[in-house]
Amino acid sequence: MSDSGMVNLTIEGRAVSVEPGTSVLEAAKTVGVLIPHYCYHPGLPVAGSCRMCLVDVEKAPKLAPACATAVAEGQVIRVHTEKARTARKGVLEMLLINHPLDCPICDRSGECELQDFTYQEGPAESRYRDPKRFNPVEDFGGDVVYVPNRCILCTRCVRFMDDVAHDPVLNVEERGDRAHIGKFEGKDLTHPWAANVIDLCPVGALVSKDFLNKARVWELDRAASVCTGCSQGCNLVVETRDNVVMRLKPRPNPEVNEFFICDHGRLNYRWMNRRDRLESPAIRGAGGYEAVDWDVATAGAARILKGKRVFVLASPNLSNEALWLLSRLIRKSGGAGAFRMPNGSEAPLPGVVDLALRADRAANGAGAELLGMTRSESPLGGLQAGDALLIVDHDLAPEDVAFAGRASAVVVAGTAMPAGLERADVLLPMCNVVEEDGTFTNLRGRVQRFLQAKAPSGLARPSWYVLSGLCTALGDSAEYFSASAVFDALATEHTEFAGMSYGVLGLRGRRIASQADAEVRA
Amino acid sequence: MAIGVKVIERPIAETSYVRAALQGMGRTLKHLFEQKVTTQYPEQKESLSRRWRGTHRMLTTEDGKAKCVACGLCPTICPANCIKLVPGEDERGNRYPLAFEIDEFRCIFCGYCQEVCPEEAIHLGRHYENSEYSREGFVYDLERLTAQTHPVCEMWDPADPKGE
Repeated sequence: MSDSGMVNLTIEGRAVSVEPGTSVLEAAKTVGVLIPHYCYHPGLPVAGSCRMCLVDVEKAPKLAPACATAVAEGQVIRVHTEKARTARKGVLEMLLINHPLDCPICDRSGECELQDFTYQEGPAESRYRDPKRFNPVEDFGGDVVYVPNRCILCTRCVRFMDDVAHDPVLNVEERGDRAHIGKFEGKDLTHPWAANVIDLCPVGALVSKDFLNKARVWELDRAASVCTGCSQGCNLVVETRDNVVMRLKPRPNPEVNEFFICDHGRLNYRWMNRRDRLESPAIRGAGGYEAVDWDVATAGAARILKGKRVFVLASPNLSNEALWLLSRLIRKSGGAGAFRMPNGSEAPLPGVVDLALRADRAANGAGAELLGMTRSESPLGGLQAGDALLIVDHDLAPEDVAFAGRASAVVVAGTAMPAGLERADVLLPMCNVVEEDGTFTNLRGRVQRFLQAKAPSGLARPSWYVLSGLCTALGDSAEYFSASAVFDALATEHTEFAGMSYGVLGLRGRRIASQADAEVRA
Repeated sequence: MAIGVKVIERPIAETSYVRAALQGMGRTLKHLFEQKVTTQYPEQKESLSRRWRGTHRMLTTEDGKAKCVACGLCPTICPANCIKLVPGEDERGNRYPLAFEIDEFRCIFCGYCQEVCPEEAIHLGRHYENSEYSREGFVYDLERLTAQTHPVCEMWDPADPKGE
């Protein structure tokens, strides 16, 4: 070992320097060499059972499994020697003996590791002539369907349920060519994190009921995002087709969610496609709402709010940018802001440190409190008679309606008409979270970016754009032309966000100053 | 002849038109009894090559449903981007196309869709007579594609698929 405490070795002719104890497979990834593998997954314990990651280690008599071999000083690894390729081709031929040729109707087709590696280095034809094994499709409960014919028995799902979810309901039943994944009698995959087995499955054996037959994966467009299901802030990939969100998948972030998202977050996307959106800015006249230009609507809203104390009811799912502009608006008018936090029960994933579906079911409650909003069970309690009420994408509970009656004027900025609201004076349509750029602050103070995934509905504008226009119309000059410019201004004003910008945050985010300090002290 | 044109005396056998007229009539008579080469379209039609690529046809199973499993390979491979497909799931859990449309105007009749189809569902047809009153009429939907009855294109000899 060298003085730096790192192990130096050569993989495919490339010099690699990694921490001792790293597997050869992980070391190869650092220099862009992907060693084919099925049973290995970085988030699970190593099994070493699929024999797909066999590589040639110089001076070793036999091929070694890259996932279970630790790096050693001076090792020379070759992935594509004749010997290693022949071995992996043999493994693929065995896996394909009973694998059906149903790629055209398989949901995994296009993102299937068996497809990829067979195409890359598998045998062109099968030598097996007998009928393939057949087992009927089984409903595993939850969001999961098991198609045993496609299963290659990598046991990633079994290890996830045993070692990460700590809810061992899956095992390998039977032996030999009858082996398949079995479910404990009378138990279902009802663990709140169980649907991760769908993402873990390298083939189409475990598929999502929700996504079944809905789209081919190569038609989907992808954008990095952050889950709005709870305050954990798991990183997501939003996948859309023809401007419709089709599914959400986890985006690995070792600081937040590793490789997983909970079922609640995974299925929490239908509201993103809702059709009853506010689509045009409007002002309430004698004959009901009248669609007007953005300039007219913004000026109309400013006229109503001007000179009054503004009370803001802001959704805890708004971005930091929008909340900061709201806090400026509140400060200018001497008003106040509040929100109600939707609640649920906490559901941790025991195998990962500090990862849970949180009881606080909104993405940016921490950010809202940091930026001056008050969390309250009765958010409109602070509304004084004669105040102007600005509702930003927040629904009204039955008990709020009476309070809302005290307001002298109501301006609604949001994605849809707030539930429970009888009338508003001005409507300003805003983009929802997948239609705009922005940042959220999660419960541990990590500020994370989300990116636009689909086109806005109608004439809706991004929330920061709507609110900066409103601020400017109220005489507080806040002309910004991108979400990143708003965030830069926010970072210069708030010490908590000091030094941050979209470039610094990247796609994995960064802790705010006070939280990061607390971590260092601990 | 004021300008003095010289007139050459020729034998009658050379100057008579009778012989040429008889020759011409003989040619006409001969063609009357020869095999005709003109095809009397539309009463008569030429036979098409077995590999003729014309407007599409969707083959069906015994129970009359389209063979298509909505795998999405034909819209993916189509170079003219003329196939629209929305996959769905029927009551027995099988994939099937909720919507399948081919715009025959955009189609370049390359035959890739037939070649790529894993279910041998979509075929090009040995058919070329198409007329419609509107452009929309050339967007064939699933119902129309399955209702076609013309023979289909044989891209390769079934007995010798590799052309050996």
